[in-house]
Amino acid sequence: MIDILRRITREPLGMIGLVLVVLIVISALLAGVIAPYDPIELRIVDRLQGPSAAHLLGTDQLGRDLFSRVLYGGQVALKVALISIGAALGVGVLFGMIAGFGPRWLDNIIMLFFDTIRSFPTVMFALATVALVGPSLETVIAVIVVTTIPNYGRVVRTQTLSIRSNEFIKAERAMGASMVRILGVHVLPNVIGPLMILASMDIPTVIALEAGLSFLGMGVKPPTPSWGSILNDGYTLIRNTPWPIIAGSIPLVLITLGFTFLGESLRDLIDPKLRKNI
Amino acid sequence: MQTKQRNKLILNPDRRQFLQTSGALGFAAATGALPQIVYAQGKKILKVRAYADMRSLDPALSQGITDEEIHSCIYSKLIQYKPGREWGWQLDAAESLEQLDDTHIKFKLKQDIMFTNGYGEMTAEDVKYSFERILDEKVESTNKPDWGSLKEVVVDGKYEGTIVFDEPYPPAWNIALPYIVGNIVCKKAWEEAGGRIDTTTPCGSGPYVHKEWQPKQKTILARNPDWHGGTAAFDEIHIFPIDDENTAQIAFESGDIDYTRVSLSAVVNLKASPPENSTVEDYPSLYYVWVGMNVENEVTSNQNLRKAIQHCIDVPSILQASYFGAAGAATGIIAPGLIGHREKSMVPPTADITKAKEYLAAAGMDSASVTLDVLNKAANVTTAQVIQATCAQAGINVDVNLHESGAFWSLGDKSAGERYKDVQLILNRFSMAPDPSYATAWFVTDQRGVWNWEWYSDAEFDKLEAAAKANSDQAARHQMYQKMQDMMEESGAYRFITHEATPVIYRNTIKPAFRPDGLPLLRNFSAA
Repeated sequence: MIDILRRITREPLGMIGLVLVVLIVISALLAGVIAPYDPIELRIVDRLQGPSAAHLLGTDQLGRDLFSRVLYGGQVALKVALISIGAALGVGVLFGMIAGFGPRWLDNIIMLFFDTIRSFPTVMFALATVALVGPSLETVIAVIVVTTIPNYGRVVRTQTLSIRSNEFIKAERAMGASMVRILGVHVLPNVIGPLMILASMDIPTVIALEAGLSFLGMGVKPPTPSWGSILNDGYTLIRNTPWPIIAGSIPLVLITLGFTFLGESLRDLIDPKLRKNI
Repeated sequence: MQTKQRNKLILNPDRRQFLQTSGALGFAAATGALPQIVYAQGKKILKVRAYADMRSLDPALSQGITDEEIHSCIYSKLIQYKPGREWGWQLDAAESLEQLDDTHIKFKLKQDIMFTNGYGEMTAEDVKYSFERILDEKVESTNKPDWGSLKEVVVDGKYEGTIVFDEPYPPAWNIALPYIVGNIVCKKAWEEAGGRIDTTTPCGSGPYVHKEWQPKQKTILARNPDWHGGTAAFDEIHIFPIDDENTAQIAFESGDIDYTRVSLSAVVNLKASPPENSTVEDYPSLYYVWVGMNVENEVTSNQNLRKAIQHCIDVPSILQASYFGAAGAATGIIAPGLIGHREKSMVPPTADITKAKEYLAAAGMDSASVTLDVLNKAANVTTAQVIQATCAQAGINVDVNLHESGAFWSLGDKSAGERYKDVQLILNRFSMAPDPSYATAWFVTDQRGVWNWEWYSDAEFDKLEAAAKANSDQAARHQMYQKMQDMMEESGAYRFITHEATPVIYRNTIKPAFRPDGLPLLRNFSAA
């Protein structure tokens, strides 16, 4: 791990990505310490102020400090990203390995299930789900988990299919190794690398999806701060002040760049075809 | 009655052409190349924005004000709303109109009012047909309630007739004769069309004729050369459906349109520095916004809890945060300028947390937790958060549920499932016509689970509601409607917020005409 980190930091883009990701993660984790104000406390007399020493990014229409809301919004974004990617990864790996290692008919059923999910446009699926069960953080996470599972499942299945016919797997089976042992000890370590790259590239997508749903008012409930809801406030007030739009956009741009750079560096390190001599 | 429709402009070749043309015209106007309103190909064209697209050209099937803005241009009525700051009417197709007694209105048509496309002269038979078809079950008119107790129209001669009601119906003068159901259509043409029309019309008699409808892009009206009222001010009126007010403002600033309503958040800036050669005006609105509380729900059935919530909601903070100080506090559901308006509400607009805590204690609670359902619009979400914050001060936790339009408008509808039972607090907004009966009608017992989502029910209220709309004594009506709003407020099921406002902007090259609530009367627009 330390070796991987050292090699990433030798790449300029990898270094930038790592710094951005660490910066955003730390600022979100320490929001309670760093944020100068309660992100949901209303101060209507201070509404729509521009940046100042008291309010680094200004205030919104309810007089709430935008810098504090951006910091706490990071907690929501990371929570959604980590929980949903983690859950999707877990379920995707399980189904992918079963599909790849199991009988053909089971593979077909699981693939049909994946294709069915992927045939729904993600945003439409999210809007329909929210309309049915109501907006909440849990709904957003559930939508992301369901729509992301096939991404991981397909990768794992492909990897599993290519590994299952290897000589060492055949030898393990001949010696009577259980399926669980084969999958856990031999298959999983071989698929986890590509999955990590995929997951790191998916994080900004998931954060953008959460922000998008919150922008549409379908994400987290008020008054919970979210980058998307800050952007939505900013959109309606664009003719009064540009600061909420700027405040909501900055972290989204930074986190997208950060995880993309980091993911690409990881890919360059792990993928033998792209591995650079660094 | 509520604003549901959403429209988007589609980028197709026509739209592209429109953008190119309007962009060029906007540039020309901005650079002073066009000193007057747009003269495209020598035509004098008025370009205005409507918040929704046209849906029907049949007055019986009109979906509300956006359709009526078109209908009032292409059809005639016995009377029309009078432009200005006070409610009133002026004669249109009628030469005279007289209330004979509580249930009879006598009219005499002007002579030589011609329908377009060769359908001949307007007669009392056309008036009878137009009004009575609204009551016809086969027509399935959504606007039937506007005619109240209309019984029939008796034709007394070629141009004369009598409108007969089963019982007195004073609202006819405010929301029937000069509004949607007062439009007069041609009996012969409508019968030829099978009794109802859709988005094309066989004929009209107003200052303009319907020329073209490009769905979700624009409606074009052209001058009617045979209009009985003289010469219409413009060769054409182009009506663009633009849902979003920010977009409409951009369209105005770029010169694409000559008039639009603007958002309340823009008013201060626009007044401080209006676009060149334009005027910003404020009109009061008739809309009413309130927080309703479901008296049948297990939690909010406690009247003391409801009263605690009434006192928790700080209306001035909401007006500042959500309406940018551009709207005033409502005292009820009936706006200033209408019969029945109350000067003061029983619960003062400013929150009283001490009193709220007293009511909470009387409810046997130290704290409470309720849900607030809200339509997902910026002003509503902001309002909900202000309510959430002030209620928290009294120990009442408000969980805000946001809904998109379709889900929201089915929340309290008992025919749409069981969800209406879960409604506790709801932030609602209804549109309104200039008669108090139009406001109170939705809160009677029969409307529970239809539009009465609070499930408020009071036999005395129902009795007053029926009596008030059938009473010709305006002073008595005034007192009755005030009493009804007192009863609503006393129930604890309502916290009145605002009637909003209607800020408009128009180019100084036109002379607009508005109802007292700021809605446009396009037929009266003229060049400056």
